[in-house]
Amino acid sequence: MEPSEDDVRLLAALQKIAIAPGHMPGVIRNLVALGEQASLLFDPALDVLIEPSPVFRP
Amino acid sequence: MAERQHTPTSAAEIADRVRRGSLSARFIIEDALARIESLNPKLNCYTEIMAQRARREADSVDAKIAAGIDPGPLAGVPFGVKDNYDVAQRVTTAGSIVNRRRPPAADDAVLIARLTRAGAVLTGTHNMDEYAYGFTTENAHYGSTHNPHDLDRSAGGSSGGSAAAVAAGLCSFALGTDTNGSIRVPSSFCGIFGLKPTFGRLPRTGTFPFVHDLDHLGHFACSSKDLATVYDAVQGFNPGDRACAERPRSLVGARLADPPEGEAVILDGWFDELADAQGRDAVTLVGDALGAQGRLTLPGAKRARAAAFVLTCAAAGNLHIEALRSHACEFDPATRDRMLAGTLVPAIFVLQAQRERESFRNEIAAAFSRHSLLIAPATPCSATLLGQATIRVAGADLPARANLGLLTQPLSFVGLPIVTVPVRNGAMPIGVQLIAPPWREDLALRAAACLERAGIVGACGTMSC
Repeated sequence: MEPSEDDVRLLAALQKIAIAPGHMPGVIRNLVALGEQASLLFDPALDVLIEPSPVFRP
Repeated sequence: MAERQHTPTSAAEIADRVRRGSLSARFIIEDALARIESLNPKLNCYTEIMAQRARREADSVDAKIAAGIDPGPLAGVPFGVKDNYDVAQRVTTAGSIVNRRRPPAADDAVLIARLTRAGAVLTGTHNMDEYAYGFTTENAHYGSTHNPHDLDRSAGGSSGGSAAAVAAGLCSFALGTDTNGSIRVPSSFCGIFGLKPTFGRLPRTGTFPFVHDLDHLGHFACSSKDLATVYDAVQGFNPGDRACAERPRSLVGARLADPPEGEAVILDGWFDELADAQGRDAVTLVGDALGAQGRLTLPGAKRARAAAFVLTCAAAGNLHIEALRSHACEFDPATRDRMLAGTLVPAIFVLQAQRERESFRNEIAAAFSRHSLLIAPATPCSATLLGQATIRVAGADLPARANLGLLTQPLSFVGLPIVTVPVRNGAMPIGVQLIAPPWREDLALRAAACLERAGIVGACGTMSC
């Protein structure tokens, strides 16, 4: 699902970023691409025991 | 461009002749500078030519020779660096104009200092995608770098200026960086050798970061021997890089002629399906020559690539958030929009991507318990046209700039050492990745040397620009 310009403005405000109107289409296009890639990470779910803890190893 | 008849460009041959006194370093450097002045306007691979420094360093090498002092294993060898390496008293642009606000570097990057001590001579800095975020070296501020084999085509990226300079014989080797494929993609497009060592092997001290936990330093050369000689000269721990491993140097040059060891295997699945016919043919040639037995599928490769994609975008947004808040308009538009999106990535995406990396590391460890070398194409196709918006991959049209690293990203994501070797089996060259277990760069370099001796791979020397 494509985020709306309002969605993007809200998220950007949390980061104290004001996205210029001319930049908005490119940002939305990239968010869509990120969402598509991220969706691959959730299906199927990883084993719950897989986690990236920074353990000291010999 | 006529093939060079008199002056060697091989690092090994130059160093040998300079150390023996049959050629002066100054002669070599004057020849290189003349070639740069002549061809750089067509290629746009140098962002700054450092003639004065190069002459001074060449004279220093010659003075050592005259005094009976060995100037080092790279005596008089001209090299260049990607524009994200610090050069003393110069602002490190990283391909951006945003960085103009930064102060000049106080010192050379650690790798440049080590190479200078080994007698190599810095000739200048090379063009790149802005902040290393791209695979084509089409830079809104500094222009596009042209492929020496076909000036209408991309040299690859993000270290495209460095690869083009080496392929055109403007310098004997060049330092680049590889976060998601930025050494391997340009190596493939320009038909030269490239080495991306294990994550943590080479200290990044004095380089401008992109993604801290994915950034690797490495280099380009026209032969496996030159690749190994430079690799031996730049190894060693440095505390300035928190991710640099405290490991002993692992010198390869003297062992390059040793035969490959263990069992090689061709990667199937993701790496086969997303390659074109030329890439698959190149892999078969290399696999046959190395006696590869069967094929291996890494089921997690697709997810690993997705995770690398997400982490890279989020990390780049995080690194540049202050500049994105205050002067986003100064960024290259292609970089800016990706980085702005990166600042907005949900945390759950990033956390899942980090878990995915752990999962893929386990998968890779299992693969290397059975095999010593994995073989895969470096790029989904040979060099694309400059300005080409999409590439055809497995029947789909995908944006070129974001997807030329489809076959490199999963592998750098887990930090493996990889040598890219050039195969000339089409109108343009294409690269094949030789992927070794962690800390075993020697296995990939020895395999590359074996392939070179057999005539299966080799840098393409004569350019037509």
